Amino acid sequence: MEFFLIDRFILAAVFGFLYGFLIQKADFCFVASVRDYISVRDSRIGKGVLVLIATALVGWGLALTFGWASIGQVWSVPVGGMNLIGGVIFGIGMTIAGSCASGALYRAGMGYIQFWIVIASMLAGNILFALIYDPWGAAVQEPLQATETGFSFYQLNLPYLLLPLVVVGFMLFITIRQFGIKGVIQGVKDSIQDLKGNPLTKSHWDIRLVAFLLGVVATLQFILLSTISITGPETRIAGVALSFVFGEDFVYNNTYLNQMFADFPTIGLGPEETLIIFMIVGAFISALLSKSFKIRYPKARRLPYAIGGGLIMGISSRLAPGCNIANVIPGLGGLSLSSIIVVVGMILGVFIATAYIFKMPLLLFQKLDLD
Amino acid sequence: MSTEELKDVQIDHTVDGIGEVCPHTLNIALKALKKAKPGEVVVEETDHSIATKTIPSAVKMNKLAEVLGIVEENGIYKIYLKKL
Repeated sequence: MEFFLIDRFILAAVFGFLYGFLIQKADFCFVASVRDYISVRDSRIGKGVLVLIATALVGWGLALTFGWASIGQVWSVPVGGMNLIGGVIFGIGMTIAGSCASGALYRAGMGYIQFWIVIASMLAGNILFALIYDPWGAAVQEPLQATETGFSFYQLNLPYLLLPLVVVGFMLFITIRQFGIKGVIQGVKDSIQDLKGNPLTKSHWDIRLVAFLLGVVATLQFILLSTISITGPETRIAGVALSFVFGEDFVYNNTYLNQMFADFPTIGLGPEETLIIFMIVGAFISALLSKSFKIRYPKARRLPYAIGGGLIMGISSRLAPGCNIANVIPGLGGLSLSSIIVVVGMILGVFIATAYIFKMPLLLFQKLDLD
Repeated sequence: MSTEELKDVQIDHTVDGIGEVCPHTLNIALKALKKAKPGEVVVEETDHSIATKTIPSAVKMNKLAEVLGIVEENGIYKIYLKKL
């Protein structure tokens, strides 16, 4: 089978390693990008996410324009109410757990026991969803579906680079208006400071630089292998674990899990699952080099957050579908309508959990009185 | 301030953020700053690496405290904040 050629596994491992390494180097946390902005007006990580989106947009636009990838390879899923509901619940789940799908992986590599528990709970959530979907879930989900297939704005008959350039141009315009041309040039200069000396042993790289590099790596993956996703492959990893316990028939007899392995010759780990595992390895090596690796034990009273948040993320990532990484990088980069809705939902979800579960100050909207 | 200078700073309040992750690490710092009087030094001990970025940004952005510096020892970070 062409899909399972060994070079695809090697490529996937390299990409996974690079993602894990880079995300660890910037402590790239998607939850914080929204939470810290609304709570304490800290936009540092949010700016990183915007750079990542801009890079992915231009990357996808270039790949399609030059024919390095075809429109059929752009990731998009049917549009409907589940995009918003799944997004909101995922946003709440990741705020409770303290990390998004990618955050849990890189911190697992840094030695956080809490995030190994989050990942295990996410896998359990995936299985729970599959067991609810077959027999009951499908009937609830289908009426909420508005279109049969996915839709990407690249499907409009426009030059592929037009929309990315308009969106990124608008982002640049806003940035220049706020910081001035000199400010923007200084920002670029500041962001590459961390590459001086021996960058491998530094504990922190500027998040804007890392965001740009992540966008480039994701574009290369889009051209050479596939679109990055985390929770889909994690569901298959959970399916493989399930097949060890209950046998392969149990997995094949579940409608949802069956379709997850539709392109697989057997129930096993493919290139994308390899990529996920190597993200942890990349983060582990990155943390070792900068002496940031440490086994970190969570406070016992936080375990319900890790388990509950992880379960919620596991279930909702199947509803939306997709996690923060799939919807932000190939989703927004691919101008997929469903992902735009999911991302709006996730932002709402983070807001709800920040304001009503953690009852954090909301300094974007009010003043904090410390006295 | 350098690590050596920070070690000589008189600490008024020490709070424990070891084993905690976001947003608890930030909430612990904010609560301690609320209790402290202006000019007092609050130190949060944590092993959550990203807190060394998020706590300083949050207190600077909202002019809550001066960030005196961060000392790292065996994977435990001590974040020194002086309430404004």
